Amino acid sequence: MIDREILLAKIKTTPYKPMKGKIIEARMLTEKEKFFRIELEGKINLSHEPGQFVMVSIFGFTEAPISICSSPTDKGFFDLTVRNVGVFTDKLHKLGRGDIVGIRGPFGIGFPIDNMFGYDILIVAGGLGIVPLRSLIRYIMHHKNDFGHVQILIGCKTPQELLFKEETKEWMRRSEIRMNCTVDRADPDWHGNIGLITTLIPGVDIIPARTYAVVVGPPIMYRFVIVELLKKNIPDHQIIVSLERRMRCGLGKCGHCQVEGVYVCQSGPVFNYSQLRSFKGECHEKAV
Amino acid sequence: MKKQSKPKVAFFDFTDCEGCQLQFANMGVTLLEITKLVDIVNFREVMSEQGEDYEIAFIEGSITSDNDVMRIKKIREKAKVIVSLGACATIGGVNGIKNRTPLEIAKQRVYGEKKETVNTIIAMPVHKVVKVDYFIHGCPIYIPEVINVIECILMGKPYVVPNYAVCTECKMNENVCRYEKDEECLGTVTRAGCNSWCINNGNRCYGCRGLVDNPAVDGQKDILLKYGLKLEDILKHFTLYNDSVGEKYDKELK
Amino acid sequence: MKYAVIKKEDLNKWVEHLKKTARLYAPKKKENQFIFRPIKDVNEITLKYIPTILPPKKYYYPQKEKLFRFKIKPFKTAKAIKAFEEYILFAVHTCDIAGIQCMDVIFREGPEDPNYLNRKDKMTIIGIECLEYCDKYANCTSMGNHVPRGGYDLMMVDLGEKFILHINSEKGERLVHGLAYIKEADEKDMLNLERVREAKKKVFKEEFNASLIKVYETFDKHFASKVWQDVGRRCVACGNCTNVCPTCYCFDVMDEMELSLNQGMRYRIWNSCQMDDFAKVAGGEDFRKGRDGRQRHRYYRKFKYPVDKFNRYFCTGCGRCTRTCMAQISLVETVNSLLAEEGELR
Repeated sequence: MIDREILLAKIKTTPYKPMKGKIIEARMLTEKEKFFRIELEGKINLSHEPGQFVMVSIFGFTEAPISICSSPTDKGFFDLTVRNVGVFTDKLHKLGRGDIVGIRGPFGIGFPIDNMFGYDILIVAGGLGIVPLRSLIRYIMHHKNDFGHVQILIGCKTPQELLFKEETKEWMRRSEIRMNCTVDRADPDWHGNIGLITTLIPGVDIIPARTYAVVVGPPIMYRFVIVELLKKNIPDHQIIVSLERRMRCGLGKCGHCQVEGVYVCQSGPVFNYSQLRSFKGECHEKAV
Repeated sequence: MKKQSKPKVAFFDFTDCEGCQLQFANMGVTLLEITKLVDIVNFREVMSEQGEDYEIAFIEGSITSDNDVMRIKKIREKAKVIVSLGACATIGGVNGIKNRTPLEIAKQRVYGEKKETVNTIIAMPVHKVVKVDYFIHGCPIYIPEVINVIECILMGKPYVVPNYAVCTECKMNENVCRYEKDEECLGTVTRAGCNSWCINNGNRCYGCRGLVDNPAVDGQKDILLKYGLKLEDILKHFTLYNDSVGEKYDKELK
Repeated sequence: MKYAVIKKEDLNKWVEHLKKTARLYAPKKKENQFIFRPIKDVNEITLKYIPTILPPKKYYYPQKEKLFRFKIKPFKTAKAIKAFEEYILFAVHTCDIAGIQCMDVIFREGPEDPNYLNRKDKMTIIGIECLEYCDKYANCTSMGNHVPRGGYDLMMVDLGEKFILHINSEKGERLVHGLAYIKEADEKDMLNLERVREAKKKVFKEEFNASLIKVYETFDKHFASKVWQDVGRRCVACGNCTNVCPTCYCFDVMDEMELSLNQGMRYRIWNSCQMDDFAKVAGGEDFRKGRDGRQRHRYYRKFKYPVDKFNRYFCTGCGRCTRTCMAQISLVETVNSLLAEEGELR
């Protein structure tokens, strides 16, 4: 817990100054996504909640918000997985083991783990959504007896785009977890489901009142997945989502991540569906 | 750490006034600083050597003849990085005025009897002919932006030209709006990045940096209305730089 | 001493004195408008002015603020600003003081913003109360900011021959203490002040067609109003309205390198929610597309969201956004159109 206090004190006194983070492992997961394992100076633990994010700095290239994909139970380091989509991430992809990046955070509100204790968990991951969800999945694995049944649904465009291939195989092998994958377009080696992730939801067996559904994916996916989850009678406040926005400061000031009156970097990125419903029209992820 | 050899830089001019190269040469001490980072091998305006071995080519001027087209294509083959320097190269600039008249008439007007001996095509910005990696807008170029772009090139990062209006920078500089002084100003629709250089110095914006991606046409008309200006008033200024194919001028006037 | 008085002929003497205690910023003329500037010659100061092009926010929340210095190899960060200097904002309108109060709320909310708080800490505010409207664009009465509501160290009110000064802090007290030409206000001065305030009530009338609470309720209900489409159609997205707003504080972060390419400075610069790519993420999705939605957002950030969060309206009534709008978008008209729509609906 001391580490957490150090980090909170840092955000309070020098909120804009990043800490030194050393890349101790880096590898491409797919053609577009790269995995980084980062160690903070003094090996202090990031002490984050699953679902939180950090601001990664590369001097000369400013900063970008990146979700943490390791669990706080993974000690001594934390993991990031980044898709190459722009100037900043292109530069980040060029970095490798031994290189230094700046780290600020962790920021935001993560998945409501304490509320989820004792419940069954249904995880729905579309595309890059598996990245922040990996932090939750790993946390649940490390505290499996705190949770009920765990089901994981993963969807992506093609089998090549599936992230964390080895790890997902391991999740599949574990008896206490049910996992299902689907791709939009298959290749000859693919033996799993074909179709959008929404097609998997009607088939899942859940007791709605006892289930927390955690959904992360591209903005367009939410609307359709949430509709399916509502059909399953999962209560609004037990449908959990994480919103992607353009955080520039992480401190609830710069305005870029705002959805109506809410700063996603401080009040989110994790929200439940009843919070989403209270938005009047600026929330793209809200089901219509 | 191994010392890397400095990238070689060349300057080429096409149809232009060479004013942007002059701006470059006028950088003074900063230019010396820059030569610590790059080797200038070809810069007619400041040196006599003419190296033909270069990685970064700064192109000033518009493409206005078949010969220009061939020449710029050759430069593209050699250079790793091409930088369009100044309004003529980035948006066609004042050379675009020629495009408003049919080529034959333009030739007749300018060259008279000798018109048959001259090869000329419509004036084009460089990126209409070859791929351009960096754009430095302006007539002339704005030195702080030039330095910024050079840093980007050396750091291997793209330079993103601001996609908001000159007004934004102008307000931050707390200038009195030119419209308040009964002058037409193109700051409302012109791409920023010049730190509202002209207005800071008592001039108005002539739109030399080209339009923002998404200019508000309806809103612009309201502005003219508010200040009692006619469309022609603003088109007169607008087409000075921003009409490399003559489309806007004709269409709006009709 | 709670109220003091100074004769008008002694004012310059006092301002000279103020100048010696700290850097002094005051309104002065620029062409046909006004701006806050550091004052060299006290005669430059204009006490009667329409709100300056930019509010004094440029001094406590600068256009381009240094955050820290950095070195790439070896990785290092260092303070960008060694010490913040003491300064006095002189002759600030009550609307702009309300703006500073709004900024306080924002930057004090955790995580606190040390840059702002450091600058605020060094600030002394000497206000001046308006006794007549600056121009037709202001809506200070509806916002309740046409009269002083705290947030200053000293407040000057013109009583004809002299100014009466309301002393509202120790800092303010120190600036009037021990000066022979500043005396404690007597009963007659206080009566005069009351008379001035009474006369003011006849001049200042609410600019909105309904009470502020009604305005708030209307915003709550009219998110999908046609008014926003109309405003969006006229907007040219120049960002003037947000730059000149005393309560707009959105920013972007940028790095500026030195030519060594190994050292540089991180800055935050003013940014506007009216810009095309303000809410666009790297993946390409734009979460607030269209000038209508972006203008609506600006209005809601004045009349709805901060009221829900801080019980405070973030419109000060200074009228700058209307005054500066290239496309004649008027805040009062927009609010009144919404109210009219509400009236029709009912």
